[in-house]
Amino acid sequence: MSADDPLWYKDAVIYQLHVKTFFDSDGDGVGDFRGLTSRLDYLESLGVNTIWLLPTFPSPFRDDGYDIADYYSIHPMYGTLEDFKAFLAAAHERKLRVVTELVLNHTSDRHPWFQEARSSRDNPRRDWYVWSDTDDKYRGVRIIFLDTETSNWAWDPVSKQYYWHRFFSHQPDLNYDNPAVREEMWQVMKFWAELGVDGFRVDAVPYLVEREGTTCEGMPETHEVIKFLRAQLDRHFPGRMLLAEANQVPELVRPYFGDGDEFHMAFHFPLMTRMFMAIRLEDRGPLTDIIRRTPALPDNCQWAVFLRNHDELTLEMVTPEEREFMYDEYARDPVARLNLGIRRRLAPLLEGDRRRVELMNGLLMSLPGSPIVYYGDEIGMGDNVYLGDRNGVRTPMQWSGGWNGGFSSADPERLAFAVISNPVYGYQAVNVLAQERSSHTLLNWMRRLIRVRRSTKVFSRGSLTLLDAPNQRVIAYVRAFEKEQVLVVNNLSGTVQAVELDLSSLAGAIPVEMFGQSLFPRIGTQPYLLTLGPHAFYWFRLRRL
Amino acid sequence: MADESLLSDDLLRQLVATGHVDILIGVPTLNNASTVVDLVRAAQSGLGKYFPRARALIFNADTGSDDGTPTLVRDATTDDTGTVSASKPLRTAHRISTPYHGMPGKGSAMRMIFAVADLLSADAVVALDPNVTSVTPEWIPALAGPVRDGHADLVAPRYPRAPSDAPLVTQLVRPLVRAAYGWTLYEPLMGEFGCSRAFATHCLEEPVWGTGVTADGVDLWMAAEALAHGFKPAQAALGPRLLDTPRKRPALPDVFQQVMDAVCACLELHDSYWLPRGQSEAVPCFGTLNGAVDVGPRPDVAGMAATFARDVKALHPVLERILSEPTLTGVTAAAATPSQLAYDDDLWAATVFEFLLAYHRAVMTREHVTQTLLPLYLGRTAAFLLEHASSGPATVDAALESLCLAFERAKPSAAALWKKA
Repeated sequence: MSADDPLWYKDAVIYQLHVKTFFDSDGDGVGDFRGLTSRLDYLESLGVNTIWLLPTFPSPFRDDGYDIADYYSIHPMYGTLEDFKAFLAAAHERKLRVVTELVLNHTSDRHPWFQEARSSRDNPRRDWYVWSDTDDKYRGVRIIFLDTETSNWAWDPVSKQYYWHRFFSHQPDLNYDNPAVREEMWQVMKFWAELGVDGFRVDAVPYLVEREGTTCEGMPETHEVIKFLRAQLDRHFPGRMLLAEANQVPELVRPYFGDGDEFHMAFHFPLMTRMFMAIRLEDRGPLTDIIRRTPALPDNCQWAVFLRNHDELTLEMVTPEEREFMYDEYARDPVARLNLGIRRRLAPLLEGDRRRVELMNGLLMSLPGSPIVYYGDEIGMGDNVYLGDRNGVRTPMQWSGGWNGGFSSADPERLAFAVISNPVYGYQAVNVLAQERSSHTLLNWMRRLIRVRRSTKVFSRGSLTLLDAPNQRVIAYVRAFEKEQVLVVNNLSGTVQAVELDLSSLAGAIPVEMFGQSLFPRIGTQPYLLTLGPHAFYWFRLRRL
Repeated sequence: MADESLLSDDLLRQLVATGHVDILIGVPTLNNASTVVDLVRAAQSGLGKYFPRARALIFNADTGSDDGTPTLVRDATTDDTGTVSASKPLRTAHRISTPYHGMPGKGSAMRMIFAVADLLSADAVVALDPNVTSVTPEWIPALAGPVRDGHADLVAPRYPRAPSDAPLVTQLVRPLVRAAYGWTLYEPLMGEFGCSRAFATHCLEEPVWGTGVTADGVDLWMAAEALAHGFKPAQAALGPRLLDTPRKRPALPDVFQQVMDAVCACLELHDSYWLPRGQSEAVPCFGTLNGAVDVGPRPDVAGMAATFARDVKALHPVLERILSEPTLTGVTAAAATPSQLAYDDDLWAATVFEFLLAYHRAVMTREHVTQTLLPLYLGRTAAFLLEHASSGPATVDAALESLCLAFERAKPSAAALWKKA
């Protein structure tokens, strides 16, 4: 990754982590920036080149930090602003970019802005939020947190009006019709960009502006806000990146890229869901369908792709039949279900099946987009669905088999979240230290995978051409960038498969398997026969010699 | 194990690409262009609606159509977008249409379907008759469901029948198979059926393929084979069975000959099973049978009675060689009064069994035996239709049950004579 490449995010392999549960340097039971800084060598060795931090702002933590009470500071339990600066410098020293959270849509109800706004209807900050005398406005707008909220309006007993909230009722939505709010949020971005932050993951993008008679999602005025912030960022901090969280189908996410003048990146949510669906169905249909439905992006834009993150595995964008299937296959225990999704980590979702974990990561790293690895998934960490909300996938990083899994020297009772300790996924069985000791562990396999992925730009910037493999259990595609071509063949099935690929358009090329550098027979005009073990995948660099 | 010579390299390639399936729907065709598209759509819809998660293959074995049937089946092939809509299966719906170059006929096609089911380890096989125009999506779960649920190895159909509908089944094959094999199977001539892979594999291994048993009577043979070899039978209530234009149907003498040949061949093949078998057992029926739809051509009852009277007289010397004296006397008496035709259940049961014995003993050419039975069958059928011209469905059902019991009563003495033959 070139230090001054403005398209650096296209080549990013992102590691998403929660400072709170990554490493505790001072023994108070909570992870902190000093702790994270001390573990940067680990991230560097993993091969990732970008770190995405979950929110670290002061917050009452009723939504794990997404309820921000001060945009210009660091929560004391994570350290100081100086600690953050030191972390940033250390990351940059290792050529690791840093992306932080930017929660534009709402604040905590403890934020001074909201406290001022509710103090009186005449307060200058009153119009920073969305108020109404009744809860009739914007009727029919869907409720996102179905399991906890019954309305998008909440009654404020202080100023005796309803306020609008698309998420929890303690998270009032900001009013982006007010230019002062836009300006203030630009000042927030500027503050962090001046410190050196390389990009912002912008939370809950579609919901910034409300309009009567609509879904209140993706309004034209919302795009105006984004364009304003993007223009400011480009003008003052060229090369910084904006990543959108818009949990929608790709056709509806596409507008958030604008003409290359809104977001640089956006998450591809349905691709993730359909990877899980395809591997359980052992049928490429769900994947090829979503790939074909994914629109082209402006040249300076990129999808962000992932397997798991800090939220539930969303099932919002599937049919009821598909959702039932996913629940049956991945969350038979109802406690694993949350809202319209499944709150599990990667390894437990795949029943700890190493082959499936590898295949899913292989797909992640070979499909278009910049991949995101969720902390702990590189060692196959488990989850704790009994912690409530989505906290079960945010448990402490398991560094070793020792005290608190090496995460903290505090008493276990003091930890923010208990360390996973069951015999299958517990820290004694699954931890970094143990996996460092063998070249065949998941951790070291992930290191190889990321290294191969980053050995070429064909995966990060190349085109994708689906091959019509006659065997539906196999998904095969060719990635191409400039003069380079890579053939990818994945067996979605848990059984051995044979597939004959029509590679006549690649006739003459010699496939070289990218992990072992093994040569395969030259491609001719006849169907090319490959056999694949259960959940096996091949990446072939195609050489013309 | 499947006979690999059945499968061309091209077909094998397609099967490799398809892989294991949960449900295989077999459609044996020969010039079914007018009906096959609707049939395939019904099958596809049934899979999507009732088995959205299943791996499924619709397999068309065509025995030489020249009307574009295979192309029509292939054109219905779905693509990857099949996973988008809620009404479609979650998995890719596979579709294969392949020609069969061996001996023409449904038997050859069924052999190929079973071979594919065996190779693909299909959990359930459903066979559909492309001549039927009334197949609905609901027929798929009705036939496949009991197999997938482990309740049955063979699911025979049950159709709501009008009194004049399919008399060859109701007057002859049903009561005879029930009495002989000891199972209350209503439709032994299974136009449609569901079966397990175990049964399909068993059938494949039997040395009957290419013989007369399966050439023209594969439907009956499969039903009889399942009963005789301990495969769990079941029945599924389907809707009315409406056939495509009757011009395709062969003439009655040909059909009668085929059915009688098949019945007799099965009885000879399975006599170690059926001879000692006692009273019949009920075959469980899944689903509810709706009312009959009388859409068939009105039978020429008077013509049937006249043929009966004329032929009994003309064939008297032949009948003397086949029937016992009391039976011949009864038949002759019935034929003497065609205007007040009566041919009771016990007499009909005795007639049929005595003809079977004559066939078994080969007292004359077997073709001659069966063709001699034909006018008697017409007489019996005419008598039944006359008696029940104004009867309600319940009365007709009771009468048909009574007929079956008459066959059961007649069986022991017939079995004893069969053993001596």
